[in-house]
Amino acid sequence: MILETISNILLIVGAFFALTGAYGLFKFPDFFTRVHAASVTDSIATILLFLGLILRTDFDLVAVKLVFVLVFVLLTSPTASHALAKSARHGGVATLAESNNKDNTDG
Amino acid sequence: MNTKTLSHLAIWTLTLAVFWLLLSGFFKPLLLGFGLFSVLLVVFLLQRMDSFDQQPEQPALGIPSLRYAIWLVGQVLLSSVKVAKLVWSRNKALSPAVAKLPLTDIPDNNRVRYANSITLTPGTLSIDIDDQHVTVHALEQESIEELQAGDMANKIATVLGGKS
Amino acid sequence: MVLAATCIAVLSVMALALARALQADTVYDRILGINMFGTKTAVLIALMGFLSERPDFLDIAIVYALINFIGMIAVLRFFEYTATSGR
Repeated sequence: MILETISNILLIVGAFFALTGAYGLFKFPDFFTRVHAASVTDSIATILLFLGLILRTDFDLVAVKLVFVLVFVLLTSPTASHALAKSARHGGVATLAESNNKDNTDG
Repeated sequence: MNTKTLSHLAIWTLTLAVFWLLLSGFFKPLLLGFGLFSVLLVVFLLQRMDSFDQQPEQPALGIPSLRYAIWLVGQVLLSSVKVAKLVWSRNKALSPAVAKLPLTDIPDNNRVRYANSITLTPGTLSIDIDDQHVTVHALEQESIEELQAGDMANKIATVLGGKS
Repeated sequence: MVLAATCIAVLSVMALALARALQADTVYDRILGINMFGTKTAVLIALMGFLSERPDFLDIAIVYALINFIGMIAVLRFFEYTATSGR
């Protein structure tokens, strides 16, 4: 089946991007860059995984429900990231450039 | 209540009813009754909110929104590959940048969509928004320059409609 | 086969996100890890539905995605101006 092959490829690539985001969560140096890594998992991995699942349905109500979950996640995850970044900013978390400058003036 | 608000509420009722039917998939009288009750409740709340803030908003379900969504998914794919390369590359120093982008070209009701699109694209993150500017944090200076070129802003302003 | 492998990958992403949340040094890092854990849970529930061939699981996935979002916003409202650095 061609559809199943495409679905397999989408699922594997999606899982790869999810793992990339998780690895970036550990690798990146400060809070704001880590949000970028997390947004890789939240956006592209979710899109690819759900597209892969949609190709496995019979294109009935199940596929419609998958589209709904995908749209919900795509609408809400940037809002959550924005709220998180905004409250971190207001809570005084410095960006990488700012903390570097501080180190330079201190030392 | 004039005809404009009535047709506005009718469009919402129809959208919500279709949404309920797609989610449930059952046509028993009891469940249809629950659906009717929920739709009417939501439309009642919507009408109260609209008369409070005077900014009625249609559901964005037309062809232009769909085309914009597809374009956005393409952008997300491109920038995800970029960020993935940054994650897996060894000893490459990150140079994150922060910039303020003007919001004056974007109509009021599309600013949230603009900020959300910026955040949804990996590599750029909107961290603050006020009347004039949106503050953007990016993993690379390049991404900020792309946003400043205004491709996404133009698409939002023209494709999604809403006069400026 | 591929479905099972994807489930395992998503599970390990969730484990990594949880580990990150546990060893974080600011409250925002913790919330970031928990948010990622929550969105991946919705994906995992949908995947499990397909793996066990019971698509009813999708309703739970929808509810989980919505509750995760509302919970995030509630927690962030709570912390927005009170926490400078929580340990």
